[in-house]
Amino acid sequence: MHDGVFFEDHGIPTATVISSEFVRAAAAQAQALGAGDYKTVVVAHPIQPLTREEVRALADKAFDDIVARLTRR
Amino acid sequence: MTEYLDPTDSVAVPRKTAPRPASLDGKVVTLLDISKAKGDHLLDRVEELLRERAGVKTIVRKKKPTFARPAPDPLRQEIVGATDVLVEGLAD
Amino acid sequence: MALAGTDPIEELYARGVTDGLPVVPPTRERVARAVEATGRAAAELIAEVPPNYGRATVEKIAINAVMAGCRPDYLPVVIAAVEAVCDDAFDLHGVSATTNAPAPLIVVNGPIRHRLDINCGAGLFGPGWRANATIGRALRLVCVNVGGARPGVVSMSTFAHPGRYTYCIGEREEASPWDSLAVEHGFAAGDDTVALLAADAPITVYDQRSRTAPDLCATLAATLAVIEHHKMTHWGDTLLVLSPEHAAIVAGDGWGKADVRRFLFERLHRPVHELVPGVNGGDGLPEHVLRKFADPAHDATPIPKFRKPEHLKIVVAGGSAGRFSAVVPGWTFSKGSNLVLRRIR
Repeated sequence: MHDGVFFEDHGIPTATVISSEFVRAAAAQAQALGAGDYKTVVVAHPIQPLTREEVRALADKAFDDIVARLTRR
Repeated sequence: MTEYLDPTDSVAVPRKTAPRPASLDGKVVTLLDISKAKGDHLLDRVEELLRERAGVKTIVRKKKPTFARPAPDPLRQEIVGATDVLVEGLAD
Repeated sequence: MALAGTDPIEELYARGVTDGLPVVPPTRERVARAVEATGRAAAELIAEVPPNYGRATVEKIAINAVMAGCRPDYLPVVIAAVEAVCDDAFDLHGVSATTNAPAPLIVVNGPIRHRLDINCGAGLFGPGWRANATIGRALRLVCVNVGGARPGVVSMSTFAHPGRYTYCIGEREEASPWDSLAVEHGFAAGDDTVALLAADAPITVYDQRSRTAPDLCATLAATLAVIEHHKMTHWGDTLLVLSPEHAAIVAGDGWGKADVRRFLFERLHRPVHELVPGVNGGDGLPEHVLRKFADPAHDATPIPKFRKPEHLKIVVAGGSAGRFSAVVPGWTFSKGSNLVLRRIR
């Protein structure tokens, strides 16, 4: 979260992709860093046991959210 | 009434959110791999989709040394100076 | 914060600033006495504590130390411990946020162990000594209250372990045949120091019958081999606590700490083909390592459990009676946390 908050603060629209188990931790950390409105892009937990193809499928699902997070869409 | 001293310290200073472009058309997009296993698979696919669908100008791939720490300052500065938008992942 | 009316212990718990156990209310008077014992200004900044980078001034540390139950003369140890965990090499950011279970372990060296009655002997990882109990607890409260490592919110450890209440021991230098941990790291024997390790819970190693250094070290190696999981490799700083009886066996064969480290390091290698994911367990060598071998399933190249022998840190501690050692695994993968020492001032 530190990186995402830093880049936003320096004028770079940022999409931070996290797994669903970390939504609360990310929000709490962003809040503590002064960025309470920071929004993440969420994919389903868990990631580590997945195959390459399964992870790529998560990217397909999340792609529209990533673009929306980076633009005025 | 007894007064106790506060053991916490709140340092939060309000941070800005960057203004958004209307689309990614013609933009430089940096994909930052946080070095957690499998994140590269996700970003590989995001890169393909950006090329197919978003009309971006350039895609830059960067990797931070470890997911367990914030990105080092030189890497942050390098990215800030050379990109329009950023995608980072994958934290799990 | 003004807390009127009700029981201060309940009030402080309700504020979310405790570890779940009752704390000593941090009154102005108590905190002032603790600050005074440091000989420093209350506003002096010691460190900014990750992950929130809250400012650990002498006063903020004193407030948390009072709550933990510290005597004022413990403050210099707590301050040195805060300095150490906030050193970039310790990676407190990662230690506080990881889903793994590490807690900062404080190992104290030097004469201050006697002045403060820090337990280095029987039962040293357990309860009964105010200094051990409250110095480690004070560091935990600083990590949560100043650093923001609130469990289950920002600190996402799946299990954590009981060392997150308090985790502080002394090395029993007087029972050691060798240089202390601090002396090995360049300090003088009369220096007071803390060494901080991002540590898992101690694993007791039982060996009543070994009478030679190689026999005993073979037993120790088999426990070190399963740190994290049996196929984890390239691990870093890890603490080996030898009881006085075990240390005497090793030293009786003329072995120094360097001999122990070399023996363990060399013994703790396994061939690539035993470390392939799916062989005897689904985890194993990461992809970037597997890619270096054309045919990992049949490759016998030895892969080390530890990156270098020097990552095996050795202290002598514990009760005079008992043929046990303890392995204290670090959370020390490459580019992660490292052992950090600081002088106590």
